[in-house]
Amino acid sequence: MNHCVPDFEIDDDYSNSPSSGMGRSRKSPLMPDEGIMELLWQNGQVVMQSQNQRSHRKSPPSSKYDAVIPADMEIRSSQVQGHESATHNHQQQQQQHLFMQEDEMASWLHYPLVDDPSLDHNFCGAGLLYPASTCANTNSSDVRPAATTPPVSASASKPPIPPARKEMDSKVQNFVLFSRDKSRVESGLSTSKSVVRESTTVVDSNETPAVGPESHALEMAMRSSAEASNANLRCGTMSGGGAGTSTSGGVGGKEVMTCEVTVTSSPGGSSASAELLPAPKPPAEDRKRKGREVDDTECQSEDVDFESADAKKRERGMSTKRSRAAEVHNLSERRRRDRINEKMKALQELIPRCNKSDKASMLDEAIEYLKSLQLQVQMMSMGCGMVPMMFPGVQQYMPPMGMGIGMSLGMGMEMGMNRPIMPFPNVLTGSALTTPAAAAHLGPRFPMPAFPMPPVPPTDPSRIQQTNQPDQMLSTLGTPNPNQSQIPNFPDPYQQYLGHHQMQFPLHQNQAMVQPSTSKPSTSRGPEIPENHQSGRLLY
Amino acid sequence: MSSRRSRSRQQSGVSRSTNNNITDDQITDLVSKLQQLIPEIRNSRSDKVSASKVLQETCNYIRNLHREVDDLSDRLSELLATTETDSAQAAIIRSLLM
Repeated sequence: MNHCVPDFEIDDDYSNSPSSGMGRSRKSPLMPDEGIMELLWQNGQVVMQSQNQRSHRKSPPSSKYDAVIPADMEIRSSQVQGHESATHNHQQQQQQHLFMQEDEMASWLHYPLVDDPSLDHNFCGAGLLYPASTCANTNSSDVRPAATTPPVSASASKPPIPPARKEMDSKVQNFVLFSRDKSRVESGLSTSKSVVRESTTVVDSNETPAVGPESHALEMAMRSSAEASNANLRCGTMSGGGAGTSTSGGVGGKEVMTCEVTVTSSPGGSSASAELLPAPKPPAEDRKRKGREVDDTECQSEDVDFESADAKKRERGMSTKRSRAAEVHNLSERRRRDRINEKMKALQELIPRCNKSDKASMLDEAIEYLKSLQLQVQMMSMGCGMVPMMFPGVQQYMPPMGMGIGMSLGMGMEMGMNRPIMPFPNVLTGSALTTPAAAAHLGPRFPMPAFPMPPVPPTDPSRIQQTNQPDQMLSTLGTPNPNQSQIPNFPDPYQQYLGHHQMQFPLHQNQAMVQPSTSKPSTSRGPEIPENHQSGRLLY
Repeated sequence: MSSRRSRSRQQSGVSRSTNNNITDDQITDLVSKLQQLIPEIRNSRSDKVSASKVLQETCNYIRNLHREVDDLSDRLSELLATTETDSAQAAIIRSLLM
């Protein structure tokens, strides 16, 4: 019997005789025959081999295990082996006996791994993947105890893993349970997950119960072996093949499910995962690979845990697809929202003095600010354009223009913008307006509710019923002009505004106004202006 | 919150729901208003422009406007420097620059 022998060979001795397994594990009272996992530990370590296969020969060199085992007592390998062997027998269920040397792994076994009484030894190695395979059924009880055994450092798991792997396929189910527990382990490895998945599926089929305990044990093991965990992560394989035996670190000799999880805490995790994946498939191959996988499967425990849940889902089959689709949808939705929020933040930063926190008011402010900005730019560009036109000759026209500008600017101010543009009463320093006093006079009147300005037909100077005299004009201008659609409605394109502006303001003699209007409409209006102007004069 | 809501209501003219939470409709409404202000989108507007695009264009537009304002201010200051201090022109420019 291979399992009885404390040798730790990783070879797939497991596969050989599942039945023999039990005897081997000295420590593991586990299943007598489930043969799942017996961790035979050499070097005084618990060497459990799955019953099935008698000792998981996974870890070929005992030395390997030695290093590992002593550290963590993980009999993962044994478990793994056990798994494999278990495949044969179906007794797997009981296999769960993860036998770990209690003394060493005492901590490892946190929870009652398996119901089986046999499974008293829990492998400390967290990586112990309960050999789902054989004992699959053993049910979780078996596994649990094993799992509970404190997962010895991941490294330890190595040896046990390989053997477990063998069984993985068969013990797939064990793995499921196993993985569940293990998932706790850092497994983040997706690979492991996938592996787990596979294992879980398999596991379920075979013997779920075994898995359970194992997973737990694995978890434990995993946890402890966190550090080693990379391997554990890989162990996800546990999940994968159920042979998770490898719970890396802590996996004790649990009967790792067949999950190939080569948990072996060894950092080889990555490799393990690779192995794991394929492992579940071919059980036989797994066995062989156990040695390797054990190293890798460190992650199993964690993966197992997660995986088990996932696996279960998958087991259902369709549900996973749907849930995945929903997840994808959620993710994309979330991403979209994030993008929008990020842009809103950027917008908020651009708006000066924006202290609003909610979106709607912030958007409101953004709208207003944008309008005022547009107006300001328009004004300024008009001013720029106008200035060159200002030659002494047209000095006289200045005031009206200035007035207009002031008006418009004042209007702009009304818009609620916070820009520095201020109505400038002093604009009217021109001749026509006589004195700054006039401007001053005009100034105060600036604040007019310009905002909702009635749209003024651009070409309607006749509307402006103003006297020719500056004073009158001033006053008229100064006061809000109800009947004077001076300011084109604000939201309108500013060109219109400018055009208007010219139309209206150059009431008296503003030919100069015509030119400066940089806006396009103004050009069209230009020619008319003088006429209007003339007529305006008359009209006004 | 209520004060803010009412204020915003007045300001924006957008009626808000009385409930405290801001509905999506309000947001989309505002976004569409914003969309109309942006010439880029307004001219080539399709039926639906994603909110994120509108926001992005708004940010870009505002930055452009800022840049323009700066440019114009520079120009106006130069002009101011060249004109006589007391001219109406100067006054205008000054007011613009304020």
